[in-house]
Amino acid sequence: MAPQAPNTEVLDEHLKEVVTALTSAVNWAMPHLKEPKIVDKAIHDCQEILDVVMEGKVSEWLD
Amino acid sequence: MFTDKVELTDFEKMDPEYRDLLGRVLAIQADCEIGGPHLYLEQILPNAPTKLDQLIVARTAAEEIDHYRKIARIAGDIGVDVSFVLSRSNQERFVESFRGQITTWEDFAVFGFLIDRVGRYQLEEFLDCSYTPLEKILPDVHKEEAGHIDFGTNMTSELAAKGGESKEKAQKAVDFWYVKGLDMFGKSESYRSERYRHWGLKRRANADARQDYTNEVNPLIEQMGLQIPDPNKNRLYI
Repeated sequence: MAPQAPNTEVLDEHLKEVVTALTSAVNWAMPHLKEPKIVDKAIHDCQEILDVVMEGKVSEWLD
Repeated sequence: MFTDKVELTDFEKMDPEYRDLLGRVLAIQADCEIGGPHLYLEQILPNAPTKLDQLIVARTAAEEIDHYRKIARIAGDIGVDVSFVLSRSNQERFVESFRGQITTWEDFAVFGFLIDRVGRYQLEEFLDCSYTPLEKILPDVHKEEAGHIDFGTNMTSELAAKGGESKEKAQKAVDFWYVKGLDMFGKSESYRSERYRHWGLKRRANADARQDYTNEVNPLIEQMGLQIPDPNKNRLYI
């Protein structure tokens, strides 16, 4: 079997958590589109999570 | 032509050319998956027209990150680390369409309509491919990409139907992304494309896939009342 690249599993697990958090925030807000507080909070949470992913400091995620 | 199925446990025994091509195509696919959110999130998430649109942008990005994760896992399992694409600048992307930034809602819509559709074609190349772990992740990824394409297509259609300035902006975005989409299929005469097909890693020649795409997308552009751009203008690859 080929040797696995370093951090393959830990990065996979981390990104699974990221995706779950994003999906949960969106799914939580979708039925509440007429309630600005809920929707704004969800968008804010998504923005925060996505900012970290886009920054791409992978070594910090894996600490 | 290679017709066997290859599992992870077989990978080390494969010809070096096969291993090299699989690693290469996975790195490019991973780069394209994460390249999308890098193009549009900064400007489009905070500025999408409605709260619903903002949530859809966030969900789209989440799905693309998950596609990256799935491809990165397959690559990592064969010893290919593709995490470097998470931190590279847009200008370093493998594919030209992902270099730059999307700053308007029209461009975001047309990106879904035209470029995510090319992404679907790229994924379809792996249907029934020789590397089984890659084939296994396709159904879910393909389904989510179809959702992005539908959203982009419907949004572009709505923008065009409004007429006036909205239609002009939609046409401008179509003009920009159409040729980039055609270029994404690569050179028509490509030795590497032939080797991908030899090893069962892709199904179609670049020119054939591009023609299939054109046959699909041109009638959609016309149905929206928009003009089909000149397919030879500003092209990088013919």
